[in-house]
Amino acid sequence: MSDSFHNSKIRKWFASSPPVKWGMRQLRELLIGALRQGPIPQHVAFVMDGNRRFARSHKIETVEGHNLGFEALARILEVCYKSGVKVVTIYAFSIENFKRSKYEVDALMEMAKTKLCQLAQHGALLDRYGAAIRILGQRELVKPDVLEAIDKAVLLTQKNKRAILNVCFPYTSRDEITTAVRKTVIAYSKPHPPPLKRPFSETHITRNIRAQLLSTVPEDAPPQDQGSRPASPSSSKELNPSDIEHSSAASTLMNHSDKSEATPAMTYPDPENITAATLTSNMFTSDAPPLDLLVRTSGVERLSDFMLWQCHQSTSIVFLDCLWPEFDLWYFLPVLVEWQWQKKKLEERERGRLRYKLD
Amino acid sequence: MAALSTSEQIAFHRGTTLDGRPLTVKDRENMLKPFLPPTPSTETPSPVTSPSPPVRKPAKKSRKPKPMRSFLASQLHLLVYTIIHTIFSVWFRFRRAWHAVVHRFFALLYYHHRTPEYIQKDVRNLGKLPEHLSVILELNESDDEQGNAGLEGLLNDVCEITAWCACAGIPLLSIYERTGVLKNCIPQTHRSISQTLESYFGVSRKPSLSVRAPHLPSFSPPTTPPTSSRPSSPSSSTTLISQPHITVLLLSANDGRNTMVDLTKTLAEMAQKQVLDPGNITAELIDVELKEGVCGEPELLVLFSPRVELKGYPPWQVRLTEIYHVPDNKGVNYQVFVRALHNYAKAQMRFGR
Repeated sequence: MSDSFHNSKIRKWFASSPPVKWGMRQLRELLIGALRQGPIPQHVAFVMDGNRRFARSHKIETVEGHNLGFEALARILEVCYKSGVKVVTIYAFSIENFKRSKYEVDALMEMAKTKLCQLAQHGALLDRYGAAIRILGQRELVKPDVLEAIDKAVLLTQKNKRAILNVCFPYTSRDEITTAVRKTVIAYSKPHPPPLKRPFSETHITRNIRAQLLSTVPEDAPPQDQGSRPASPSSSKELNPSDIEHSSAASTLMNHSDKSEATPAMTYPDPENITAATLTSNMFTSDAPPLDLLVRTSGVERLSDFMLWQCHQSTSIVFLDCLWPEFDLWYFLPVLVEWQWQKKKLEERERGRLRYKLD
Repeated sequence: MAALSTSEQIAFHRGTTLDGRPLTVKDRENMLKPFLPPTPSTETPSPVTSPSPPVRKPAKKSRKPKPMRSFLASQLHLLVYTIIHTIFSVWFRFRRAWHAVVHRFFALLYYHHRTPEYIQKDVRNLGKLPEHLSVILELNESDDEQGNAGLEGLLNDVCEITAWCACAGIPLLSIYERTGVLKNCIPQTHRSISQTLESYFGVSRKPSLSVRAPHLPSFSPPTTPPTSSRPSSPSSSTTLISQPHITVLLLSANDGRNTMVDLTKTLAEMAQKQVLDPGNITAELIDVELKEGVCGEPELLVLFSPRVELKGYPPWQVRLTEIYHVPDNKGVNYQVFVRALHNYAKAQMRFGR
């Protein structure tokens, strides 16, 4: 124990000596610059798991573990934004986490307050990279004082346009999906505004059309007329087939308007127009590009109610064994490189298939 | 690798300086300066120039964008990028080869020999088994290296996995396959799975099987003659041994987002008819609807693909599902199945039996 403590002290001393520090920073810059040469995921999500376990294994307080976790977050945000990631989504606090001890929840809330402000302050990390904070989740569950602080942070970074940091604050994905469904339903249960009165009468127009048709029909109608009669003998008393067609189209219209007359002036948007895209646009992450990469630390191979809707298509999900406070460029680099490698492979295969098709 | 000094660390954690004074804006900005990227106006500290700063044209330097240097930097980055990718590509290939060796090793250790007893032995000392196991399979269009292409290969995989689950005693298996071809031929699927089960268990001990897909009637033909003749003696010993039942649930991409869209459509219609208040839409409601319409949450999801990609798997259901995959694995393997179960039970793999 004391030995490892001693070792870590030496290491710390070594790592904080100016030349080493400088060299490390240059190396990081170099690696990040190199990563930029390849494709970069546009949207990355992190599940910051393992703070508590880290604290336990290093015999420090849980809150201190969370603090170290926040440092890791700052480091990784720097890496992400420097290498050109547009949106970073982090799982900061789950609705389920309210079940933890009150002491820890309060500490986490307090941390969220100070840390978000710290991140958002002028000249700090987010400002420098032009990143705006968004808070995703159930705002009602947060205490007002915390809410005020996070709103301030959001407001401070509002003007930043280059990147986005999504903080999932009291969030679960099921809640998000439910909210999206509810929003969609509410949007579709609002009747259309009643149509504006226009200075033309529909009956007048139909009468005019009919008059026109009647005047043009006699030259070429008779053979057509005979052909179509037996097919629809009882359709109507109208003379020509084009009108029959017309009236059938019109009758559906009529039915529709009948229905809307039953509930006066209430026409609803058609629910059949709802698609997956509608729901996607009602998710909290609607304006973000599709999720390319989801990283979860601490070796737990579960999504734990995070980004279920977003990551179930072609997101690469990566489970890492390291705990979140240890997470850094050195763990992230292989993940990114592998992602780039796979991306390149995929593109090559696509190109090959395309060529195959062309031949 | 946080190369922070103590004063910086304290400032970072508490928002105060070493002597407890609250940090001012100026202090903070000074402290952060070395960690931040250069603002456009200031000059980049680049490794090439900083040791011996050229003193010749200092005035010009701060203003001009320096095309030469940025060109060199980008060339350097490109070089490093190429080097990194070369190294990693070698590493990935090496890793794949190594994993292939490991897989072979496990495949030698764990093989079922189409005998339920072997499989039962493999899972016997596991603390817990999933009640609902899910797998993601793929329909290979024309994969010449695998030899399990097309519908036939897929069906073969389905049969094998079902048999393993039946042997291990997992009552519900859901099989996700993106296109949903199997849903079109449920009777055939049922028949070939039954045949496979027969070849594992023998005609008399074969577990009963039902195959179903969401929104389609369940296909479980009346019990086959040998089993129907049995239940005349419902003593506890026979019921224990006989009549395990396995349900196979076929899922496709339609049961994912599209089902949720359908649910939303229905809800929207109800709201339009004013029979539903949108405020009543809760996660519980959706959960119940989807559980009845599609399936519940599987406890374990086994991927046979080389990496984790859900490919349209029903999103609502994977909330807490343990996702297991073997890196660089390709194709359906018994050893992957056993390792997934071991991993789920958090059991150490014992080398040897």
